[in-house]
Amino acid sequence: MLVLVAIAGIWEVLVRFSIADVQFLPAPSEIAAAAQGEIFGGELVGRLIHTVGVTALGWGIASVIGVGLGLLLGLSPTAYRYSMTSFEVTRAIPPITFVPAALLIFGFSLKMELVLVIYGGIWPVLINTIGGVRSIAPELRDVGTMLRLSTPETIRKIVLPAAMPSVVVGLRLGLSLCLVLAVVAEMVGNPEGLGNGLIRARQALQPALMFVYVIAAGLLGVALNAGLRATARAFLPGNALKDVFAS
Amino acid sequence: MTQDRASDIAPSTRLYERIRLDSLTGLLPLVLLLSVWQLIGDPESPFFPAPSSWWPALFTLGQGDKIIPAILDTVRTFGLGLLGATILGVALGLSIGVSRTFGRAVGPTFEFARALPPAAIVPVATLLLGFDETMKIVVVVLAALWPILLNTSSGVQELNPVLLDTARSLRLSTTRTLFGVLLPSVMPAIVLGVRVATPIALVITLLVEYLTAVNGVGALVGEAQRTFQPARVYALIAIAGLLSLVVNSGVRFVENAVQRRRVGDQ
Repeated sequence: MLVLVAIAGIWEVLVRFSIADVQFLPAPSEIAAAAQGEIFGGELVGRLIHTVGVTALGWGIASVIGVGLGLLLGLSPTAYRYSMTSFEVTRAIPPITFVPAALLIFGFSLKMELVLVIYGGIWPVLINTIGGVRSIAPELRDVGTMLRLSTPETIRKIVLPAAMPSVVVGLRLGLSLCLVLAVVAEMVGNPEGLGNGLIRARQALQPALMFVYVIAAGLLGVALNAGLRATARAFLPGNALKDVFAS
Repeated sequence: MTQDRASDIAPSTRLYERIRLDSLTGLLPLVLLLSVWQLIGDPESPFFPAPSSWWPALFTLGQGDKIIPAILDTVRTFGLGLLGATILGVALGLSIGVSRTFGRAVGPTFEFARALPPAAIVPVATLLLGFDETMKIVVVVLAALWPILLNTSSGVQELNPVLLDTARSLRLSTTRTLFGVLLPSVMPAIVLGVRVATPIALVITLLVEYLTAVNGVGALVGEAQRTFQPARVYALIAIAGLLSLVVNSGVRFVENAVQRRRVGDQ
């Protein structure tokens, strides 16, 4: 933490006495002033709420689809054999390149942003759910068969808990991806949220304001990650967590 | 042993390993989808032009000669960015792994930088560095750096302390400890980090190109979208997908080669 303060201090001094003569680089004090203006009476809070809302909603939908589809593909060898390669090939296409296609199809709208966020968020959840389900020890499944559990019961009591650490990894990766895609969509498409604030500040040549939005986006990333970590901690046993948050 | 440790670091990649392109039967849904699309799709549709119209769309209006240079531009930015990320990531990762103080000092800063959506860096980078190749590479480095850095630093922290003690009792110089002991032993972790970073680097390359319209495949997709050429957009998306498949299998090939050589050494 101290280092952050030190960096800000050095940065301030460098810019103030124009030792580092970089065009458009605002001093931290200017950024702080801009932040104050933008928080009280500016648009920052509204934009933040928009981005958080879309990210969370898209991530939620993506997670449900990803886990559902992942369970199907993980549990049914037939489904796996007859579709996995298709998913692998489609997954290889970077979601970013779908932004232009989504723009053509949905125009500059909230729908476009949401579709992108959902699309991007599905992949990590899907892949990690499949991986988690397929790596469950066969003995565990045998226990389910022996106890004559029905399929829904097996899924709820055996498959999901056993695959959970891997699923949470997918959820976490998905969440950061959803945020990235939301910001990109706002920058080029849907004219709302943090991404749009960033572009507006850039176009208006207000570097200090731009840094405010960059910092807001970064803090949002940290906050979302911390929130997910806290939630996961509440639901998962301690040992599983070490793996999940290692990388 | 090394295998185990590497998999502890990134569970998601370990799982990915098991899911391979093992059967062509799996292509069925995709082939079906594209066939249906072809049959009912209208080549003039502004939203979903039929797949057969994609390829010709690459060459209409004398745009055909832009494709190859764009791919080369993208590959160059991606390659240089990944190289930069690897050098910087390994250097910082080693420093953090070796010095606890340094690690604690830069920890919060890095935590923040890592959570920053790469797209948000782009406007800042263009403002400070301008619209050029350097800016593209800087953004790619900043985004692809983290997996390499994290894998390297945890690789160092999980090393057997005896290894470094041995180097000290043999009075090896710092340089020799670094290149003779430290780097070879964390190599698998570094390779793993690079593999995780590779798709990120490619995606971010395309992202920067799309957002700034500076050269490359990403810029072409953006241009096609702005001039309402949907077939061309889909064709370029397919090219980006192929590029990413090639790059990913290339990295997997290199990783396997490195691992095989290590097994041979032991």
